[in-house]
Amino acid sequence: MERSFAREVQALRLGEGDVFHGEGILAITKALLQSGVSYVGGYQGAPVSHMMDVLADSSELLDDLGVHFEASASEAAAAAMLGASINYPMRGAVVWKSTVGTNVASDALSNLASAGVVGGALIVLGEDYGEGSSIIQERSHAFALKSTIWLVDPRPHHGTMVDLVEKAFELSEISHTPVMVEYRIRTCHMHGRFRCRDNRRPALSKTAHLEQPEFRQERISLPPSTYVQEKLKIDQRLPAAIDFIRERQLNEIFEGDLDDVGIITQGGLYNSTIQALQHFRLADVFGKSRIPILVLNVTHPLVPEEITGFCAGKRAVLMVEEGNPDYLEQAVNVLLRKAGLNTTVHGKDVLPHAGEYVAEVMLQGIGQFLSASSPAGFDTGGISTSVASATSGRARAADLLSGPVPKRPPGFCTGCPERPVFSAVKLLEKEIGKVHIAADIGCHTFSTLPPFHLGNTVLGYGLGLASSAAVSPAFPNRTVSIMGDGGFWHNGLSSGVSGALFNKADSVLVIMDNGYSSATGQQYIPSSGRNYQAQPTGMSIARALRGMGVRWLRTVETYRVGTMMKTLRRALTTRQPGLKVIIAQSECQLARQRRIKPDVRRKLARGERVVRTRFGVDESTCTGDHSCIRLSGCPSLTIKPNPDPLRRDPVAHVDNNCVGCGLCGEVADAAVLCPSFYRARVIENPSRWDRWLDRLRRRFVYDPAAQPASAR
Amino acid sequence: MSQPPRPISLLIAALGGEGGGLLTSWIVEAATACDFPVQSTSIPGVAQRTGATTYYLEIFPLRFSALDGPEPVMGLYPAPGRVDIVVCSEILEAARAMESGFVTPETTTLITSTHRVYAISEKSHLADGRYDRESILSAMGELSHERLCADFSALAEQANSALNAVLLGLLAGSGKLPMPVEAFVEAIEARGIAADANLRGFHAGLNWTPTADEPDAGTAATPSLHLPDGLRQRIAGSFPAELGDVLQAGAARTLDFQDAAYAEQYLDRAQALMPFDGADRDYALCSETFRELALWMTYEDIIRVADLKTRPERYARIRSEVRAGPDVPVLINEFFKPGVDELAAVLPERLGRRLRAHRGRLAWMSFSLRVGSHSIVGHRMMRLLAGCRRWRRRSLRWSEEQALIERWLGTVRRASQTSYDLALETALCAGLNKGYSETFIRGRKNFLRILESIIEPALDGVAEPLLVQRVKAARTAALSDDTGAGLQAALQDVPLQVVERDRLDHGPRIQPGDTAKRRRAS
Repeated sequence: MERSFAREVQALRLGEGDVFHGEGILAITKALLQSGVSYVGGYQGAPVSHMMDVLADSSELLDDLGVHFEASASEAAAAAMLGASINYPMRGAVVWKSTVGTNVASDALSNLASAGVVGGALIVLGEDYGEGSSIIQERSHAFALKSTIWLVDPRPHHGTMVDLVEKAFELSEISHTPVMVEYRIRTCHMHGRFRCRDNRRPALSKTAHLEQPEFRQERISLPPSTYVQEKLKIDQRLPAAIDFIRERQLNEIFEGDLDDVGIITQGGLYNSTIQALQHFRLADVFGKSRIPILVLNVTHPLVPEEITGFCAGKRAVLMVEEGNPDYLEQAVNVLLRKAGLNTTVHGKDVLPHAGEYVAEVMLQGIGQFLSASSPAGFDTGGISTSVASATSGRARAADLLSGPVPKRPPGFCTGCPERPVFSAVKLLEKEIGKVHIAADIGCHTFSTLPPFHLGNTVLGYGLGLASSAAVSPAFPNRTVSIMGDGGFWHNGLSSGVSGALFNKADSVLVIMDNGYSSATGQQYIPSSGRNYQAQPTGMSIARALRGMGVRWLRTVETYRVGTMMKTLRRALTTRQPGLKVIIAQSECQLARQRRIKPDVRRKLARGERVVRTRFGVDESTCTGDHSCIRLSGCPSLTIKPNPDPLRRDPVAHVDNNCVGCGLCGEVADAAVLCPSFYRARVIENPSRWDRWLDRLRRRFVYDPAAQPASAR
Repeated sequence: MSQPPRPISLLIAALGGEGGGLLTSWIVEAATACDFPVQSTSIPGVAQRTGATTYYLEIFPLRFSALDGPEPVMGLYPAPGRVDIVVCSEILEAARAMESGFVTPETTTLITSTHRVYAISEKSHLADGRYDRESILSAMGELSHERLCADFSALAEQANSALNAVLLGLLAGSGKLPMPVEAFVEAIEARGIAADANLRGFHAGLNWTPTADEPDAGTAATPSLHLPDGLRQRIAGSFPAELGDVLQAGAARTLDFQDAAYAEQYLDRAQALMPFDGADRDYALCSETFRELALWMTYEDIIRVADLKTRPERYARIRSEVRAGPDVPVLINEFFKPGVDELAAVLPERLGRRLRAHRGRLAWMSFSLRVGSHSIVGHRMMRLLAGCRRWRRRSLRWSEEQALIERWLGTVRRASQTSYDLALETALCAGLNKGYSETFIRGRKNFLRILESIIEPALDGVAEPLLVQRVKAARTAALSDDTGAGLQAALQDVPLQVVERDRLDHGPRIQPGDTAKRRRAS
């Protein structure tokens, strides 16, 4: 990783009484250190990558405290790390993007939850749901329910979030159960402040060693212990947790004067609930609400007496619960029924089953709830007009604008080394027809979006090759699977490559080897060559493949579109059976630019010769068909108004963000597209020879007076 | 005690990589330094890669020190009807903010740059897929309470700074936030990264005042035309004044392409259409036909390309485009890959046909010439090629293009006797002929299909009532995708006449499916 997080690392060092300012996820990281964790692991992914990035840069601080930090090979590996807390009173935390990471981790999580823990075990989940998410839309809640793991969903307020991390460790230890803490995207990126406490040195750590390994049969996940463990979950751990949550008041009740109704909300949605109530003048800026609110900072387990106590005497309550299924609404209904209460529970009848609860959704849902439940002492007459007027902007804009605003789907960065691979595939498809492409997770998934539209399925991280297992034999031609280097090490090597070799699959695998786990922020992976402790790793994708028995293996520099096409064509048509692997290699351009830009700046300042390369389009020969754009989609390859008075269609144009990767030229050549592209090399701080040559050329080439008459 | 104020809400809409995050940090830091409660959030996600992304902030205009006890609870989502300030780095993002209902005339101050960064669907269109900018401008006028809008991207460039710094300056100068200007300056300085450049941008934004006529980024300047007096006089004497501009441009272009005789031929062809048009229709038919005619007559063969690529003014244009200082050497390499078809096109007719017949076996002849047009040798080679234009009249492509031009013009004239609008549509179909290589083949094929399967049969028989709409629909469909599926659908109820390959001057280079047949050994 070429980024520096020095600023953030400083924030982790703050002591008692200092005020922390920063992002939510960083506040949580600080909370872990304040809780005295012995170890932290995890796998990068939005919206929680930042925790991994910052801890990776904090080795000095972590060494001081004796905290072991590990960039885990996958979420499963991270979850398995929590095994340290099964036998030993060590607090540990792991972090990942959920639900995808939780899916990967769930084998270890089930075993962990069944065995139980003596040291606090915390699972920090970045709930990647709603706008800005990059994954399938599901809830992590189900994992908590099925494995009996407690789920904390704190309200978005730094002080509360930090406090709940510390309490979650206690909860975990008292109930011998791992605890998940979920933070939604906007909460992870929320900037706020809280008053710090000192970081706590763990009692057991890499500097304060354990003395004896401990063996306890009842902590092994094997019958007969597993039967006992299941009973323990119900008989001991659950009651212990419920008692702790109630006694320590992890959930919050805010009283209000309109108390014949009430709102129960997931902690994470508290601010949005208040925001909607403010609209109806039912809450003030400080969150003082006229409608009583029960904030569930812990959404599993529920405390039955808290729910029934809150609902008793109320005609109706609203359960604000994002996503589906409506686990909480169902649970509340069951609790009320068992307690013989007939409070009407609103929830998914006024709020949507699917999708994020953005401000407009909350406004409409709470508006409907108020209209339906008519709190005594509040005039609900103006509600529908008020909602309609607040949301009328949309309709007004639709009338005025000339049509739906074009979307901006994510795409490959300027100069991305993965783009040329898909340009090559697209060109090859013109020649040999459509190919089934099993896509994977990573930046390369953007190939499924415009302008490439390549990739028929996406099944999960590192699962590109595995997902082609059954579809491949069903085609007369070979199929192509894509895998990133991140996905390769995470899962692809074992579930994909070994499976394909074992089953003698005859297909083509393209591995994008750009040196980092790029989509999540250029973190190091085994093939980056070094780890976070700056130790060389000596691991290579090619050697791993050879070792496993791959015979047909080619490494191609991605920017060579012609070579890439040739190699792909060969892989698809060779008589050699078995798995054919192409390693498409070139460094992530973001990382590369981050590394070379300061270098170039320094050289320029020192007056050293620097050749700056970029591409351009001749506006006089471009006819405005934009084939080049359809084969590239590079952000810096764009369009501009046609300077030609007779032409109407905009011409292609390369803007100043061009990094000179050369793809436009390669594509123009490989596709025999158009002669409009040129490469310009600008020689800054030219040498004497450069200057002499330039003077000569200016005289004979560029000087209009020296032009042959035919040029006019 | 009076009612406490509500937080000031601020939505920033930007594109991934534009520094919206840094802009947000500056604001947060300025507010924090002034002791104002502030909360910000964002949804970077995958949008960090060129997608549209938003940042949302709330700033409470009472200082912590003035608060007695409770702190404000602030939102994480912009609420429709309650956003005080919307800042957009680009005008389409302003349209998106309006589309989402966040810009309302009662509350919202809109600060947006009016330049365009085109979305992929706009860029990849086969002709012109740009979103209607005028409708955004008019919606902005209707929907925002106050506006600060201009091409701030250009302002940033002038200040040699970044757009986000300029936007911060505008925000600081708008008076909508409780922090003083110095707080923003300190925030920039505290960040340290490129502080000088950012401060330049900040002050450019801060001191910006709206000017009455903002230069329209949507149109480009018209270059001056080189046209001898003889041609100029003929245009003035023989044509109505309304057509003067297009004819001058057309004549200059044909002259530039070949010679004065060719320009005269252009005017002859133009003159032949005059009886079919009149002032009552503003000479729309002539104007469009003359425009297309000039473009078609100056088709892009390798001679033309070599000529255009060796113009002295091009060198100056490239230098400014790549931002090279006056004494900095710039080396230019051309991605010029003439294939068999391109060579055949400029050869004498018979030779060209023979070469084309052996296209399959001569594929190796297509090789990439990364000609260095900056070098003396490369430049002279290109000039030599450009000089071949003296033999162009004898070339294969010349004869093919001239024949098809005549056929098209004849069809336009005949169509005008059936319907003026049909003639106009027929004229516009010529626009499908563009590009090089495969693009050219596709366009030519589409053009001929529309001509031969809709227009010509209708002129020979009885014109159907919806003919004009059908031609227009087919023309639009031809530009909807590059696989031909759209046009196929548009033509589906028309008996198709397959366009023979020989009737195109280029044939498809690759035979689809010929390698796909090569099955793997099982």
